[in-house]
Amino acid sequence: MNRILAALYWIAMALIMAFITLPLLVVVAASLSPSSEVVLNPARWTFHWYGELWTAKWLGPFWLSVQIALTVSVISGMLGLLAAYVVAYRRCPAADVIMSFILSPLAVPQIVKGVAIVLFLSSAGLFHLLGTPGLIMAHVILTLPFATRMIATAVYNFDRNLDRAAQSLGAGRWQRIRFILLPLIKPGIFSGMTFTFILSFNNIPLSVFLVRPGQSTLPITVINYMEYSLTPVLAAVNVASLLFILTTIFVFEKLGGFSAQLHGGSK
Amino acid sequence: MSTPDIELVSVTKLYGDTLVVDTIDITIPRGEFVSILGPSGCGKTTTLNMIAGFQEPTSGELRIRGADQQGVPPEKRNIGLVFQNYALFPHMTVAQNIAFGLKMKKAGRAETEAAVRSALKSVHLDGLQDRYPKELSGGQQQRTALARAIAPRPSVLLLDEPLSNLDLKLREAMRVELKEIQRELEMTFVYVTHDQEEAMAMSDRIVVMSRGVVAQEGDPTSIYNRPRTSFVADFIGKSNILPISAVTRGEAGPQLVLPGGVVLAIDTAEPVEGMRFCCIRPEDVRIRGLDGGPSGQAANLVDGRVAKIVNLGAHLDVWVDVAEGVTLKALLRTADAAGMQPGASITLAIAPEAIRTLAE
Repeated sequence: MNRILAALYWIAMALIMAFITLPLLVVVAASLSPSSEVVLNPARWTFHWYGELWTAKWLGPFWLSVQIALTVSVISGMLGLLAAYVVAYRRCPAADVIMSFILSPLAVPQIVKGVAIVLFLSSAGLFHLLGTPGLIMAHVILTLPFATRMIATAVYNFDRNLDRAAQSLGAGRWQRIRFILLPLIKPGIFSGMTFTFILSFNNIPLSVFLVRPGQSTLPITVINYMEYSLTPVLAAVNVASLLFILTTIFVFEKLGGFSAQLHGGSK
Repeated sequence: MSTPDIELVSVTKLYGDTLVVDTIDITIPRGEFVSILGPSGCGKTTTLNMIAGFQEPTSGELRIRGADQQGVPPEKRNIGLVFQNYALFPHMTVAQNIAFGLKMKKAGRAETEAAVRSALKSVHLDGLQDRYPKELSGGQQQRTALARAIAPRPSVLLLDEPLSNLDLKLREAMRVELKEIQRELEMTFVYVTHDQEEAMAMSDRIVVMSRGVVAQEGDPTSIYNRPRTSFVADFIGKSNILPISAVTRGEAGPQLVLPGGVVLAIDTAEPVEGMRFCCIRPEDVRIRGLDGGPSGQAANLVDGRVAKIVNLGAHLDVWVDVAEGVTLKALLRTADAAGMQPGASITLAIAPEAIRTLAE
């Protein structure tokens, strides 16, 4: 009985893994195929389409997306840290209210948010902020709930006895924040920023409302391109984006050490 | 006499409407090992937190080295603290943990290194300075926490049940070591515990707390030998606590009449006015003719029947029914009581000096 269950378990696992990874493999194969027909024979594969990515047509939107995602992850990370500090560390009386307010954009569909931001900018006479500033603003609104939530969780898990221990050793408030709190919640901050980066980098629904005419982020460029043709260059863009995101996660992980709990963690 | 390190004068702490600490007065002289002992909920941890500065007294005055501490934050009190769960900084090595207090004091590099080295030495952790807390055993974490607290040389060290997470053997070894470290550093230790054995083993003085008040205060011997209330008699060591039905005058002096008509002569110096209970330590309950106990005329002789025997190894706990509803517990050496069986009739011998009267 147990062996049958174990076998079923492994079969289910394998199916789930296949479901997640097979489409990716198909995309990789497509990006290497000579024409829009997907070729599975490695002997006929070509890197031609990747070469085509190295043109202003794709590099421009890519850099815009990277700039926005980086800026947004820094801003959301910092705002999220401040919010988490007040809500989860100082536990100020209005903590619940503040948290609900910051999380409230989650309840609004992105399309609605996009329209609302555009209407706001035009009615407030801030139409010139469309483009990069508007995109950054919108993406911060989109990602702040996630960043705050992740950082606040790290702060909630912070062992307050460590704070008291530091205090008894003569550490004032800023010293405790700098030497004890920040190093211990750093993994939370960086995972929040990573998540923010990915959300911003991949975003379409908000971005379409806020790009200036002639300006385009990478995902929007892909969507637009798809309307005209379905060449393997799209698959190449996707694979390249995927590799880029994975690299970003890796770099953030190295900086922030989400897995620092291996020799850290207070319990 | 120099200024005491810590003085609590009529200190009261309320949480909402709950009185947690009720008008206590405690004086802790410099260089002493003082234990605050009591069951959970007696207010001992609150008292410690008030001394450390994590909580402010609702009323009363708290002085450290003569200075009123109202509004002084914990980081300005120069008091070391050892936590029950150690609270080591997980992202720092043992050496960095120990150096933390000196770093906050902006001590020089040479001074810090010397202090870390000497702290490591006092707690016997030499060679482990580059480990992370995660890589240490419970006992080593405990030592690190202690080293971290003593390294900046605070004038007072507060210890909050620091041994309760260790196993029994280690706990007993650490008791001896803690006491040695305290004596060596000549630091004032305030040790909060619910473990009376720990308090007895290490303290110069014990403050017994119960329901927010100080039940009794004194050196371990006097607290053990002269408990003032049945709570203290029961909490410190083991005791036979019996209600007093009446007090009469015998030829030799006062006598206590217990329920069931048991009559015990007591020492003439023992107060009887208003006393409602008496207590007898199990080791003072001897058996006539068995263990060379007090056999003279002076001893109270009480006939009884053995009800229950529990073997503790070197000793036996023996319950003896001496009258209807009156049972005395005796602690006998196993060798002395060999062959004793439940149901056996025996005569107990209790010296009058071993009987204490208690008001409540």
